[in-house]
Amino acid sequence: MKTLTLAIPSKGRLMEQTAETLEAAGLRIERPSTDRGYRGLLKGIEDIEVAFLSAAEIAQNLREGKIDFGITGADLLWEKSAPQENLVSVLAPLDFGFANVVVAVPECWLDVASMADLDEVSESFYARHGRRLRVATKYLNLTRRFFAERGVTGYRIVESLGATEGAPVAGTAEVIVDITTTGSTLAANHLKVLDDGIILRSSAVLAASPAGLADPRAVVLQKNLKKPK
Amino acid sequence: MAGKSKAEREALERQNAAIMAVFERAGFDYIAPDIIQPADIFLERSGEDIRARTFVFTDPSGAEMCLRPDLTVPACRYHLSHAEMPDAEARYCYLGPAFRFPNEHLSPQEFMQAGLEWFAAPDAAAAEARVLKLTISALEATGLTKFRVTLGDLGLFSALIEDTHMPVRWRNRLKHHFWRPHAFREVLESFTSSRNARRTSISGHIDKLASKAAIELVALEMEQRNLPLVGGRSLEEIAARLADKAADRSEAALDQRKADAITGYLDIVERADNLEGQLNRMDSGRNFNEARKHFQKRLAEMEELGLNPKRFEFKATFGRELEYYTGFVFQIEVETSEGFVSVAGGGRYDNLLSDMGSPAPVSAVGCAIHTERLKAVLA
Repeated sequence: MKTLTLAIPSKGRLMEQTAETLEAAGLRIERPSTDRGYRGLLKGIEDIEVAFLSAAEIAQNLREGKIDFGITGADLLWEKSAPQENLVSVLAPLDFGFANVVVAVPECWLDVASMADLDEVSESFYARHGRRLRVATKYLNLTRRFFAERGVTGYRIVESLGATEGAPVAGTAEVIVDITTTGSTLAANHLKVLDDGIILRSSAVLAASPAGLADPRAVVLQKNLKKPK
Repeated sequence: MAGKSKAEREALERQNAAIMAVFERAGFDYIAPDIIQPADIFLERSGEDIRARTFVFTDPSGAEMCLRPDLTVPACRYHLSHAEMPDAEARYCYLGPAFRFPNEHLSPQEFMQAGLEWFAAPDAAAAEARVLKLTISALEATGLTKFRVTLGDLGLFSALIEDTHMPVRWRNRLKHHFWRPHAFREVLESFTSSRNARRTSISGHIDKLASKAAIELVALEMEQRNLPLVGGRSLEEIAARLADKAADRSEAALDQRKADAITGYLDIVERADNLEGQLNRMDSGRNFNEARKHFQKRLAEMEELGLNPKRFEFKATFGRELEYYTGFVFQIEVETSEGFVSVAGGGRYDNLLSDMGSPAPVSAVGCAIHTERLKAVLA
């Protein structure tokens, strides 16, 4: 059988929880002791090699078809590949890594509750200040897609690679799109989520590229990792 | 395809020479606006949807530049930097590459665009008819015989809204949403009877405005909750908009028949020469009457130039997707095995030059031809 590749997160909480999930499913990873450390074999399913990559790289490599299966966050997966492109498929949502990608505005904007309000404010902001409202985010594509669906066009994205929630206080953006689990970081930065501002309810997912999806082992992985109902 | 062969290049050049000959014979100066442009004008004017399709880069000094996604803005910049008096009449035509990340069928990431821009023309209706005539003549000069023409008129829509009795901020909201059919219907509905139905996370603030001035409420709320003023908007801005929302609640609802008249207008799809009857039947005010006369005058000018409005379709909602246009708009499409493909379009955009810093308002009407799509549909 042709050897397929399953990529799993190489660090952090996502790595630990992935390892636990695989173990609970009876799928052990065998890492050859002499190895460079970034490859292993999956025991329990025939000819599946395990690669350890960052969650973002896994989403990118799935998109490019360089790996067959991957466990990564839904946020990163759909940031890298639009659903209608049909480049990746989710085989199973997993029972960890829960977080929401949200649109948040300063709490002091007492007149703003919804995306429709944000649209109006973006127009009056431009008229009054002569520049566009800035949205700080690392999710360029999720933001563009969501804002376009809601008809909000009068804004600019400021790419942010860390501490996005601090952008409004720092004065580098007015609005943010970021991932949040409890909302406490948002509150600490005096930000509130819009009523209809949840872009994505994210969790860890088992995903496949088209080559992976077409292989019978996709169903085997799916059955093993699907969370119990 | 990584480029064009000698034969392909020559064929495209031959086609485009025929287009430019039509434009130049009509007295338009053939200019060459810069390919590399400051990104701000495009991005601030168009917002993130165009930004997502524009090739943006940073020059060594840190300034944001772009490869032009279109030639209208570069032609306007050319005009503003060359003309002694920007509001004196000027006619330009151009042919050159434009660049966009592709998002649809027959849309390569670099393509040759031909077009013309006519600034401060003395007679608006005549200039609009003439630009359409020149576009069609240019297409016919390349051998195109079968195509369909769609017309729209944002002037008619604006006039209808102006004539309908409602608060100014409601008008602005409707005009702003013209481009977004779904949001437009929702907003229009909210102005008729059912508008207070939905509560949001800020309804509580609006409730309190019955007994308190907005500015006081905002100041008090921020003090009590210890909220810093971040996000670039002032206390006054936030309070004023909150007060508007409160005012919306007590405003008399928009008459359902007036709302229906607006939706009725937007439903119009009609042969351009049959439109007059429909427009005349509408219960209209002063602004709409003027816009209607302008429409009729433009039709007469078209006939004068040998165009046949029987062959053109008027669509009241046409103009969506082309956000800087302000009046007459048109689009020319060709039927292919994969549906209709737009090969040319244009219209009036009277605010763009002021937005770009012109000291005086400059009326403008123009067109653009996607020469590579044209080549593809002619093949």
